[in-house]
Amino acid sequence: MFFFKNYKTIIIVALIVLVALLTLSYNAKQERGAGFLRKTILEAAAPVQGALNSAVKSVSNAWQRYIRLVGLEKENRILQSRVNELQAELILYQESFLEAERLKNLLSLQKELNYTFVAARVIGREQAGLAKTILINKGSAHGLREGMPVIAHPGVVGRLIQVTWHASKVMLLIDESSNVDAIVQRTRTQGIIRGAGSGGCVLKYISKMHDVKNGDAIVTSGIGGIFPKGLLIGVVSNVARQEAGLFLKINIAPAIDFSRLEEVSVIVAAGDEKG
Amino acid sequence: MVYYLLMPLVSILLIVLQITIADVIFSGRLVMEISLIVVICVAFRLDLVKGVISCFVLGFVYDCIAGSVLGLFALIYTVVFLVSFFISLHLIAEEMHLVALLTLLCALLEELIIFIFYNLAYGYNAGQNNPLTFLSRVLIVSALAPLLFSVLHKFEVFFYGKTAQSAERSGSGRASAEI
Repeated sequence: MFFFKNYKTIIIVALIVLVALLTLSYNAKQERGAGFLRKTILEAAAPVQGALNSAVKSVSNAWQRYIRLVGLEKENRILQSRVNELQAELILYQESFLEAERLKNLLSLQKELNYTFVAARVIGREQAGLAKTILINKGSAHGLREGMPVIAHPGVVGRLIQVTWHASKVMLLIDESSNVDAIVQRTRTQGIIRGAGSGGCVLKYISKMHDVKNGDAIVTSGIGGIFPKGLLIGVVSNVARQEAGLFLKINIAPAIDFSRLEEVSVIVAAGDEKG
Repeated sequence: MVYYLLMPLVSILLIVLQITIADVIFSGRLVMEISLIVVICVAFRLDLVKGVISCFVLGFVYDCIAGSVLGLFALIYTVVFLVSFFISLHLIAEEMHLVALLTLLCALLEELIIFIFYNLAYGYNAGQNNPLTFLSRVLIVSALAPLLFSVLHKFEVFFYGKTAQSAERSGSGRASAEI
């Protein structure tokens, strides 16, 4: 007993080592069967392993989702930039299409009329105050001269008032100092179209005796030698019979939307003057 | 008594955790032997009897769960504990480079025992098949040991206000850390 108390630690350690050695030597010779102890421990470990695995799996899934989201964000950024590029491209194509449409209209107008034209692009506008003019990118170098009529689809724009070598100023129909000889298409009644600024134009010198209605088309008369005959100016938007005076007060809505004008044609010569 | 009852359960938890973590990190290609580091930790903190029983149980549980020859890791962990215990009498657990070195020695000792056992019992050369796996396993354990020791140290300081080893560390007469 005394011996055991004195060497208790050493005896226990030696016993443990001995048990380990015996277990090992016994099991090394045996088939690796499932002994009772092994079964018990595996049985106890199974739920722990299951719980840990599901916890790890959920963390791993969350991580995978996060990684996927990071990937998605990057993909989204790439796609967004691609969408922006394509939108810019689409706008370019739409612009080209609209330009082609406008030019087609202009060309069809040119084909209808037997004149020589110079096509020009609008490069500036001055529509503040009384003056209503635009600047085009063609000048005397292209054969333009002051006074030449300017048209666009579907009718008259105005006439050239200043011409430099490579640019010209066009006085629009709605300029208050613009006067164009015109006729009412339906009744062939003649009058003078005067610009009224942002209000459009007015048809002057039409007697109260004449029949003019809203919606009547007004075309150039060809008198005056500037505008060829039959070009559309606009339509009658309002007819007022004043008590005083001899003439009707007729408002004209121009056929051209001057604020959206981008391309014009300048009539440089009559068809028979070509060459 | 509660300690000895809880020990197998804690051992099961540790081994399962170790296998799961290794499975997640290395996809089952490597074993991250946290249990070996725990054995060395135990050598620094528990008395001889309690420590040797704990390590035997831990090794036995490892054998059962990992499927190795029953008793192999029980013997290895007991031997590693005894070696670490006697070395720990001359070491301080806070010296992390020494802890890493001791873990490296213990891991090599473990591999040596496995090599000898398989050679003697089955005539199988366990080391020559995959020396890279063996080397990486030893290095990973050595690198992890200081980290685990430092975590354990912080844990002890947080709960007990001091480390278990800092008590009268004189052989078997050292203070027991109650888990």
